[in-house]
Amino acid sequence: MACTNLTTMWGVSSNPSLSDSSSLSFRSVLNPLPLPNHNTSPSRSSSVAPIQSSLRELRDRIDSVKNTQKITEAMKLVAAAKVRRAQEAVVNGRPFSETLVEVLYNINEQLQTDDIDVPLTKIRPVKKVALVVVTGDRGLCGGFNNFIIKKAEARIKELQGLGLDYTVISVGKKGNSYFLRRPYIPVDKYLEAGTLPTAKEAQAVADDVFSLFISEEVDKVELLYTKFVSLVKSEPVIHTLLPLSPKGEICDINGNCVDAAEDELFRLTTKEGKLTVERETFRTPTADFSPILQFEQDPVQILDALLPLYLNSQILRALQESLASELAARMSAMSSASDNASDLKKSLSMVYNRKRQAKITGCGNYVL
Amino acid sequence: MTLNLCVLTPNRIVWDSEVKEIILSTNSGQIGVLPNHAPIATAVDIGILKIRLNNQWLTMALMGGFARIGNNEITILVNDAEKNSDIDPQEAQQTLEIAEANLRKAEGKRQTIEANLALRRARTRVEALNTI
Repeated sequence: MACTNLTTMWGVSSNPSLSDSSSLSFRSVLNPLPLPNHNTSPSRSSSVAPIQSSLRELRDRIDSVKNTQKITEAMKLVAAAKVRRAQEAVVNGRPFSETLVEVLYNINEQLQTDDIDVPLTKIRPVKKVALVVVTGDRGLCGGFNNFIIKKAEARIKELQGLGLDYTVISVGKKGNSYFLRRPYIPVDKYLEAGTLPTAKEAQAVADDVFSLFISEEVDKVELLYTKFVSLVKSEPVIHTLLPLSPKGEICDINGNCVDAAEDELFRLTTKEGKLTVERETFRTPTADFSPILQFEQDPVQILDALLPLYLNSQILRALQESLASELAARMSAMSSASDNASDLKKSLSMVYNRKRQAKITGCGNYVL
Repeated sequence: MTLNLCVLTPNRIVWDSEVKEIILSTNSGQIGVLPNHAPIATAVDIGILKIRLNNQWLTMALMGGFARIGNNEITILVNDAEKNSDIDPQEAQQTLEIAEANLRKAEGKRQTIEANLALRRARTRVEALNTI
């Protein structure tokens, strides 16, 4: 932005002759051999001038590559700091999900024999599916947004092949702009997660999904997000969000179910001086409820209150994992960009020095 | 003997310390909890939670969830919770007006459900500011 201001300033506040002389003086500062060049005969200037201008160009290129490298290096460090914050957010959400799982488990024990009829667990014949697609807000993160969008398109094709209707809820600016440009894909709502997903954003998605499911507009809700596997690897996954199983299991579309009591946490640590990610699986100890615990309301009503909480926490976890994967992808993309930039700078500097020495050797003859 | 209150939302712990008494809004009305209350489990409605610490009452807006009251330990799990000191009065009023307008505009079962939820939440936030 500062550069454009400068150029407009030059254009507005100076007449052409002044700008020419100032740019000439600028050039002469860079130029190792000042005077002879202005008074050279045409034949000499034709042999000397091309080498000079390419020297200057090389110098400018080296400077700009150096600046780019500084920027990408800074972006990498910022992303690394943010991954730590994202990880803290996941850790902060653990007390909630642990307690919730405990209670859910215990209520299910009590309701073993009864038939549960809670709206969120109702399994209906599927006619329409809602896909919640979680993407990032900004670019410069490698193939992150692309992978998830490709997965969404593949899933849409699958659903079309099965003859099912679908609608998309897009979360994240990148996904929003993608779907906006494709009006043939029905999008229900565009939402944005912001820099750190909180319960409010998860609530907005949950509200939308909840009302779609309860009003029977859709019969199944699937969540597409990127699972944080490691710093260099992230996997777009599809989880079935609704209908919920009363036990709180979260199922993959292939039918692989993860028990709610098992929780996977990722931790950013250093191993041998390099940043790595470790995933730990915790099994939440489900203690027995005191047998005299009375339910203030019907157990079914209580389940009715618990399941939206579970829905919210699942959505929030998906948003948090997606954010962590985006940051990790940005870290690795910026890291390789920095490496490329320093390699380029090295090779350009070598060419520049060679050219400079060749010119000195060449012009040195004339000085003699 | 004091009660230990824990208010948890999916992304943070809102409250985790001792209190003297609480008044909770549940689906079946308001209940007051004093030390040595019988253990119960209850669903929490979108409403107000009042906390008493040494003759001073504090209000919090809760957005629905679940509460478990055990041996002098209360655990409240909610979708979102806001202390009344954290709510901006003008913003809460504006949100309420927008929610009311949305409810009037709502057509169809689905929009009505969403609009109703939003209205109840906005109303709770404004109430939290007005009580005490």
